[in-house]
Amino acid sequence: MSATLIPETASATTTMRRNFWSGVWRVMKRKPSRMAGVVILVGFAFMGAFGPMFFPDHLPGDVNALTKPPSWEHWFGTDPQGRDVLALVITGSRYVLLCATVTAVITVVLGTALGLFSGFKRGRWDTVLMRITDMKLTIPGLPLLLVLATVWKFSSPIQMGLVLGLLGWGGVARAVRAQTLSLRERGFIEAARGLGLSTSHIVGRELLPSMAPYIAMNMLISVTGAVYAQVGLFFLGVLPYESDNWGVMLNLAVFQAGAMIQPNALGYLLAPLLAIMLLTLGIVLVVDAMDEIFNPRLREE
Amino acid sequence: MAQATTGQAPGVRVDGLTVVYKTPAGELPAVRDVSLTLEPGSITGIVGESGSGKSTLALSLLNAVQPPGRISAGSVEIDGLGDVVGFEGERLRKARGAHIGYVFQAAQNSLNPLKTVGKQLLDLGRSHGVEDRRGLLREAQELLGRMGLDGARVLDSYQHELSGGMRQRVGIMLALVLNAQVVVLDEPTTALDMITQANILKIVREVHAERGLTTLVITHDIGVVAEVADRLAVMYGGRLVEQGPTRQVLGDPRHPYTKGLIKAIPRLVGDIDQARALPGRPPTLATVPKAGCVFRERCALRMDICDTDDPAAVAHGPRIVACHAVKVKEHA
Amino acid sequence: MITGNGIVKTFKQRGNMLGAREVRALRGVDFSIPKGGAASFIGESGCGKTTLGRIIAGLETYDDGEIVIDGVPMSSLTLKRRQPHFRKIQMIHQDPYSALNPTRTVHQTLRAPLALRAKQTGRSKAWMDERAAEVLSLVGLDPATVLARYPHQLSGGMRQRVVIARALTVDPEMLVADEAVSMIDVSLRLGILALLKDLRERLGVSVLFITHDVATARYIGDDGDLYVIYRGQVVERGPVDTVIADPVHPYTQSLLSAIPVLHGLELPGEQPVVPLEALNAGQDDVGCLFAPRCPFRGERCDTERPLLQLTEGVPQEHACFHPERRSVIARPMSEV
Repeated sequence: MSATLIPETASATTTMRRNFWSGVWRVMKRKPSRMAGVVILVGFAFMGAFGPMFFPDHLPGDVNALTKPPSWEHWFGTDPQGRDVLALVITGSRYVLLCATVTAVITVVLGTALGLFSGFKRGRWDTVLMRITDMKLTIPGLPLLLVLATVWKFSSPIQMGLVLGLLGWGGVARAVRAQTLSLRERGFIEAARGLGLSTSHIVGRELLPSMAPYIAMNMLISVTGAVYAQVGLFFLGVLPYESDNWGVMLNLAVFQAGAMIQPNALGYLLAPLLAIMLLTLGIVLVVDAMDEIFNPRLREE
Repeated sequence: MAQATTGQAPGVRVDGLTVVYKTPAGELPAVRDVSLTLEPGSITGIVGESGSGKSTLALSLLNAVQPPGRISAGSVEIDGLGDVVGFEGERLRKARGAHIGYVFQAAQNSLNPLKTVGKQLLDLGRSHGVEDRRGLLREAQELLGRMGLDGARVLDSYQHELSGGMRQRVGIMLALVLNAQVVVLDEPTTALDMITQANILKIVREVHAERGLTTLVITHDIGVVAEVADRLAVMYGGRLVEQGPTRQVLGDPRHPYTKGLIKAIPRLVGDIDQARALPGRPPTLATVPKAGCVFRERCALRMDICDTDDPAAVAHGPRIVACHAVKVKEHA
Repeated sequence: MITGNGIVKTFKQRGNMLGAREVRALRGVDFSIPKGGAASFIGESGCGKTTLGRIIAGLETYDDGEIVIDGVPMSSLTLKRRQPHFRKIQMIHQDPYSALNPTRTVHQTLRAPLALRAKQTGRSKAWMDERAAEVLSLVGLDPATVLARYPHQLSGGMRQRVVIARALTVDPEMLVADEAVSMIDVSLRLGILALLKDLRERLGVSVLFITHDVATARYIGDDGDLYVIYRGQVVERGPVDTVIADPVHPYTQSLLSAIPVLHGLELPGEQPVVPLEALNAGQDDVGCLFAPRCPFRGERCDTERPLLQLTEGVPQEHACFHPERRSVIARPMSEV
C-alpha cells in the first residue's frame, strides 16, 4: 500500500513551501491596509537600493533658488544651498535604511540567540546571561551614543547599525527567553526530547517557528527604533555633517533655515519627517499580518 | 435556612429554541428547534459531546449567548419571570444572579485571581443592590459551611489558594447566595478527581433538595448525570435526540446515539469487550448536515428518509425520542 | 521488562528566604511491568502518579532507587548513556492539543524522529516515507489525507492518534499513557483505548496507563497490575480485576466508591465508603499517610507507617493495619 504513497509524500515538502507563500499572499490580501504597507516598504527598499543612482554624487545647487517653498519644479522646495529637497531625501535614504536594517538584524539575531539559549539551557547559564542582559538594559542608550560619537565618526551606516544593534538586543533577549520558558514546557517539546531528537532540531525546528511571528514583529519594530535613534543623533548635531542625511536635514531646517518661523523652509523640514512617518506607517501596517502569516491556523482560514 | 421552607421552585419551559452563530459560511445553528421542560424542583441533566450545543443551550437560559451568536427563534419561559429571550439591559442583569444562578466550569478560572472570594461576593451584592452586606456574608459563610468548607477562611482566600473542588464549591455558593431558584451547572466536575467529583455531586444533590431548586446540569459525562439527575436529555449536533427519566433512558436507551454512547463507556465489571466504540466523530458547527438527521453519518439504523427529513421529537409516555427508526419500530 | 525499586523523588519548591519547602512526590515505589504487559497507576491528582510516569519515560530524574530496563540498571550508566534505553519508553500526553507542534504538519512531525532513525540505521528517504505511512495506518489514520495536515485541521481523537503514531516511529517497548483520553470526546475515547489495546496485541508494546478512572485502566489491560498510589506511596496493588472486586485498603475502597453509578443499568455496591474530603497535605513523618482521612483508623495508624504486605486469600498487596474486604463497586443489573 505504501508504494503508491511515496510520490505523494516525497513532494510534500515542496508543496508545503508553495503553500506557505500562497498563504502569505492570502493573508496580505485580506486587508487593503496590509497591501498598502507592503507597497510602502517595497517603495522604501527600492528607494534605498536604486534611488541614489539617479542623482549625481554632489547634488547641484541652484543659487537662484535658495530655500524656496514647494513648487512644481521642486516638490518639497529647496534647501539653503538651492538643492532639491526631494533629491536629498532620496539620496539620504540609503544610509538611513541600511543602518536600520543592520540594527534590526543584529538586534534580533543576538537577542533571539541569547534568549533561546538562556531559556532553553536554564540553570547557571541562564542566570549569568540574564544578569548581563539586565546590566545592559540599565545602560542609558543616548548618553552612551553621545560619548561614542566623540570617538567614532560613524561615517559608514554599517558601523552605526552595529553600534545601535549592540545596544538594542536586551529587550528582545528577555522577551524571547520568556517565550522559550513557556514553550519548553509544552508537550511537543517534551515529546521531541523523549524521541531523542537533537537540541538543534528542537531549537531550530520546534521552538523557533513557534516564535517566528514574535521575532518578525520585533525585527520590524526595531527598524523604526533604529531610524529614530540615528536621525535623532544627527539632528542633535553630535555626528559629522552629511548634507543629505535626514537627521542633518532636520537640524539644518530648524537651526539654519529657520523652518519654525520661515514658511519658505517648511518643505525642507517636512520632507524628512514625512519620509520617517511613512516608513513607520508601512511597518506598522505590515506587522499586523505577522501573526496570521506564521500561524498555520490563521493563515489557512 | 429560611429559603428551604418556602420551597416554591420555578419551572422552566424551553420551546422551539434555535441559536445561530454567524460564520463566514453564513449563520449556522448551534442549537436547533430544542424544546425542553425543567419540572419545578427537578434536576435535569443534559449530556452531549463538544459541539453538541449543550453549553449554548445553557447560556440561552440566561439569554447570555454572546455575539457572533444570537437566539433566532423560540422562547425560554421561567415561572415568575416570563420569557427571558425578550429581556434586555437592566432587567436581564437583575434576573441573572437573583433568579438564575450559573456555575461555570471548574476547570475554567471564573474567579478573579486578583480579588479575594469575599471581595468578589461583595461586588456581586453591590451590583444587585443588596443593602444588607453582613447578611450576605453570613449567608455565604453558611452555604460554604454547608458544603464542608471553613466559610471565613475561604472568603479571605484568593483563587490560587483554593483547590479545584473548593473553587467549584465557591462557584456554587456565588450562584446561590442571591437566592436564585434556577441553577445551571456547566460541566461541574470536569477536571476534578473522582473523589472530589463524588463530593461535589453529593453537595449538588443535597443543596438542591434543601433549597428547593430547579437545577440543570450540563456535562459530557453520562456518569455525572446518572448520579444526580432525575431527567436526562441527550444532545447531538444541536438537536435534542432523546430525553426521559434518567433510569429509564440509561436502562433502555432508544435513540441509536444514546445507545452508542452508553455502550462506549468502559465498565468496572463484566465482559470488557462489551464496550464498543461509536464509529465516526461528532460534527462541528460547520459539518452538521443542513437537512435530514444530524446523526445519520454514524448511525447503524440509517434509512433513506434520514437523508432528507429531520426526525421530529416524538413523545412515548414520559420519553421523547427523535429518530425515524425508533418511530418505525414503535408502529410495527 | 521494566522494573523500579524504591523510587524516591522530592521536589524543592521555591520557598522564602529561609529555605525551600520540600514536597515528597514519591516515597519509595516499587513496580514491575513485563514485556508486552500492562500496568495502571491510579490515584488522585497530586498523588505522584504522573511524576512516576515521567520518571519511567526518562523525562524526569529521581533522587533514589533504581530503574532497570531490560536487565540494565540505569544507575550504572551516565545520563547520556541512559537516553537510548529510556527512548524505548514513550510518553503519550494527556493534552493532544499541546503535544503536537502547531506550526508543523503531520508529515514533518513524523519525519523528524524517522530521519534520526534512518541516519542511525543507514536507511533511505523512501524508507522514511514508507514508515510514516505505516505508523499512521497502524493507528487507524489514512496517510494520504492526514500527512499534509496541520494539527488544527484534525479532531482531538485524530491528534491523539498522531501522537501515538509519532511514539511508534522509534519502535518503543512501552507506551506511558498519562490520562490519554480525558480530553477527548466521549464517543471517541473508546476508540483510542481500543487502539492502545490493539497495539499491545499486535506489536507487543506494553502499556502503562496513568489515570484516575479505574474502568479505562481495566479496559486496556485487565491482565496487568493495578497500583493504587496515595501521596507518593503504593497503598494497594494486584491484578486489576481482583483489586476491583476485593479492595482491602480504605483508600482504594473510597476511590472505587466514588465512581458514578449508572443508575438504571447498575446497582451501587453494598458497602460503599463515604467519599473523602479533599486531600490536605498533613502529617508527614509518622503514622499512616492516609490516617487523617481514614474512616477506619485506629491508634496504631497514628504512630506507625504500614508497609506493603500480602493480602490473605487474593494475589494482591496492601499497606494498611485494618484491611477488610468491602463490596464497594456497582454491579450491572443483569448480573444481580
